[in-house]
Amino acid sequence: MKRWLKMAAGAAAITLATAGCAGSGSGDSTNSSAAASNGSLTVWLMTGTAPEALTNSLHKEFEDAHPGVKVKYEIQQWNGIQQKLTTALASDNPPDVIELGNTQTPAFANQGVLADLTSSVNDFNGAQWLQGLKASGEFDGKTYGVPFYAANREVIYRKDMFEQAGITATPKTRAEWLDAITKLKAKFGSDPEFQALYHPGQNWYELLSYIWDEGGDIAQANGKSFKSSLDTPQAKAGLEFYKQLTEASGTKAPKDADEATPQQAGIYGAGKVAMMIGVPGEVDTAAKTDPKIKEKSGAFAIPGKAADKSAPVFLGGSNLVIPANSKNAAAAKDYVKLFSTPKYQTELAKAGYVPGTSTDVSALDANPLTKVMAEASKNGRAVPTSPKWGDVESGQNPIKDMLTAYLTGTKTLDQATADANAALDKLIGG
Amino acid sequence: MTTTKDVTMPAGATPPASPRIKPPKSNRRLRLGERTAPYLLILPALVAILVLLGWPTLQLIGISLRKLDLRELVSGEMVWVGFENFSEILADSEFWEITVRTLVFTASVVLLTLLLALLMAVLMRHLNPVVRVIVQVALILAWATPVVATTTVFQWIFDQQYGILNKTLAKLGFESFIGHSWFSTGPSTLTVIGILVIWQAVPFVAFTLYAGLLGVPKEQYEAAGIDGANAWQAFWAVSWPAIRPILTMVTFLSVLWDFKLFAQVWAIRQGGPDGASTTLPVYMYLKGLAGNHFGLAATAALLMMLVLILLTARYVQLLVRTKEADLS
Amino acid sequence: MRKSLSQRIGLGTLGVVVALLFVFPTYWMFTSSLKTPGQVLSPDYDLVPLSVTFENFVSALTKPGFTTYLANSLIVTLGAVLCSLVAGVLAAVPLSRMRFRGRKGFLLLVLVAQLAPFEALLIPMYLLMRDAGLLNQLPSLLLVYFAATLPFTCWMLYGFVNGIPYDLEEAAMIDGCSRAGAFRRVTLPLLAPGLVTTSVFSFITAWNEFLFAFVFMRDQNKQTLPVWLSSFRTAFSVDWGGIMAASVIYAVPALVFFIIVQRKLVSNLTAGAVKG
Repeated sequence: MKRWLKMAAGAAAITLATAGCAGSGSGDSTNSSAAASNGSLTVWLMTGTAPEALTNSLHKEFEDAHPGVKVKYEIQQWNGIQQKLTTALASDNPPDVIELGNTQTPAFANQGVLADLTSSVNDFNGAQWLQGLKASGEFDGKTYGVPFYAANREVIYRKDMFEQAGITATPKTRAEWLDAITKLKAKFGSDPEFQALYHPGQNWYELLSYIWDEGGDIAQANGKSFKSSLDTPQAKAGLEFYKQLTEASGTKAPKDADEATPQQAGIYGAGKVAMMIGVPGEVDTAAKTDPKIKEKSGAFAIPGKAADKSAPVFLGGSNLVIPANSKNAAAAKDYVKLFSTPKYQTELAKAGYVPGTSTDVSALDANPLTKVMAEASKNGRAVPTSPKWGDVESGQNPIKDMLTAYLTGTKTLDQATADANAALDKLIGG
Repeated sequence: MTTTKDVTMPAGATPPASPRIKPPKSNRRLRLGERTAPYLLILPALVAILVLLGWPTLQLIGISLRKLDLRELVSGEMVWVGFENFSEILADSEFWEITVRTLVFTASVVLLTLLLALLMAVLMRHLNPVVRVIVQVALILAWATPVVATTTVFQWIFDQQYGILNKTLAKLGFESFIGHSWFSTGPSTLTVIGILVIWQAVPFVAFTLYAGLLGVPKEQYEAAGIDGANAWQAFWAVSWPAIRPILTMVTFLSVLWDFKLFAQVWAIRQGGPDGASTTLPVYMYLKGLAGNHFGLAATAALLMMLVLILLTARYVQLLVRTKEADLS
Repeated sequence: MRKSLSQRIGLGTLGVVVALLFVFPTYWMFTSSLKTPGQVLSPDYDLVPLSVTFENFVSALTKPGFTTYLANSLIVTLGAVLCSLVAGVLAAVPLSRMRFRGRKGFLLLVLVAQLAPFEALLIPMYLLMRDAGLLNQLPSLLLVYFAATLPFTCWMLYGFVNGIPYDLEEAAMIDGCSRAGAFRRVTLPLLAPGLVTTSVFSFITAWNEFLFAFVFMRDQNKQTLPVWLSSFRTAFSVDWGGIMAASVIYAVPALVFFIIVQRKLVSNLTAGAVKG
């Protein structure tokens, strides 16, 4: 028994000594799958963005220009994408071109896993890059991500309801907006199901518009890191307006969920909501419930404090990046170059997105909803380009918690902002 | 031919002092084939567990002493940071609060699951075959439905505005439940999560206990009946000793599973509101996996395992020590 | 214990009520799959669906790749269940019946192997598979699920074999069976309830697993059903009706598996004259 114990102890010691050495042998190119990758270019785009017709014609053009190279196109879904990207980058044959959310790009750039594209910016139509997205692709003075596309929020409204309520022009200021809500409530308020504005409690992207409109921000650059500025007067003012909207509209939306839970497009489609704040694509979702809702809907930019400028909007979108250890960097760059040409950027615009590398948004004018979005995107901004921002969005978002606590009255304005400030600093500071 | 005390006694029970005919002690020399037989038989399982589970788990120990973010993972470089990960987590006051919360949550869920499952198992024993199959199908459906669907359905049922629960309560006259939010506080959220977990955990435990109860021959119940015992006493005298070892075993397993529960807690409110329903696995995800900080994740995982070992040490000790006397 | 008629009716009613309560969320999932997007969350009292549509099922089933995903899931799941059962039964016998050095150690190993949180093992296991060259191959998933279900299977079967008296095998051996034959003929049939429970558990565990399947498999044609289920959610909208329909379709194989396995159990128990 004693001898057995000694042997076991010895084995354990050896194992422990070598344990934790996982991951030391990466980049081993004797793997046969790595050798085959020279003939193909692996491209990962996220589901729902580039229409099939676009990618088909683009890939054909690319393959014609690059004989011997086939495009291996893999559409990825959002759920779990972070883990998938992480492991794919650590594999022997990472993808060559990846669509990366703009809030994620700084984090990946900071880890040194993306190829430096600074020298190729001009190839990618650098002069026409969408300003709001440009910053998210930059890190430490270098460019790692090429803007791909963006979408931003606007106020989608029911034209027929506005007409019936006697609202003749779409609101351009906050005051006009609140006035419109009052008129709508006067006309339709007798219906208990009616909501002048569907206003969930945790739509923090919308809150950004109000904070930015006040001249503030949620975090300021502080040397190499960021410092939260949620407890500034401007942020508090933005928060107060959010509450004002919630209370004025008498919305039944939950205060502890965002616009996806429950899906606001579905509720809008049910027909008892006069306005909602979302992206144009949500109207298509609403059409599944009521096909006629499209013709009844219009849009206007989120009103600012003054009449001449709409509120700045958050630009949600993606960049195209190339992994640093991609085995086909040259071909990958050609691919990105092709995608950033006006021809394909216009196709993206036709699909309803604000193009990332082209200032030509005329294709968006066809649809009144996207026209408004394109106009507002000129005043678009991104979240702080902190490499730790991914932690905020993928984990517990202090801004969302702050909204709920303040809207439900659990915390006072000062308390809510102070707590959120501390929490955000914990996440992105240092 | 069976012996007198034909009782199903799986792992953990010290055998009662019953006249079990012991197989003859090996006073004959074991042939080589017989000596190696045990090792050959456990070989597949042993190898699989050591290689596929043991090795990765040991890796966790090493990784917890490193900084392993995306950069280090891709480049393969080893950055040793000693116990920095441990001190970071242990110094976090949230960690201790969350650990207590997880323990309370686990204890409640396990106890309720066991109670409910026991009742179901006993019920199944007494039902006629048709109704029994109906119940079993209902249980299986609860067990087999994927978590993404069950968490969504539960959120709908408990929805503030459109949930069928609030609507039904309002119809029954409980006006205060119109628009009542079940997710506004941590304990309330954890209660909903708890109900979801119990709903999906009871089937397995119920089936296992039921299988154990099946092993008790009817004659024992009849004997007890003849001795004048009512149903309650029959249960304690006959069923309980039979299922107690199984019960201990499923308790152990339930503690393990419910402690490590992640998907449901995350899906319902991501550990909110304001972090009030965050349990240790969620904490591990937030600190480690969400931001690609695998060193921290490994540290959190090891700390979780430590807590589990402390919780179950006594039981493990009991288990491993018994049964020696019974073997051939 | 003969039950009176009223007792039997009472119990029967209780059973049905319990079953109804238990099946309610599943019922809700099923009715949601029959609803149009607008009805999923409606202010009306819709305990029973107000209208029914099958478009969700159609769209779910006709999503490209469904049959491939189904096949992959079946391969990986059934394979893992089989391996688990075989290795588990083989290991349970010596653990329960034989005395050998290292027995306690192995028991301890089986217990401790269940302690680690599964998500934390993602990276170490990923690296293991990468170095073994098994990434993007279905066998790697099979091995992961095999590993995930094996300790539990060993443990349960050990417990169940313990509960079957050795004397039965002895009796068979006296009658001329070899040790293995005795086990096969006498103990194995009696093990049926244990085999049922463990195999259903293993099946459900492997069938529902998402994270490892998503991360280990690169090619679309190697994905499993949980990934398919997850694809109903896009950046801007969630196809709830589709998810519910997909979940119904999803739960069906597990139910079928149980019914098949349960039939064998019932037949074994009614033939339980052996025990008497």
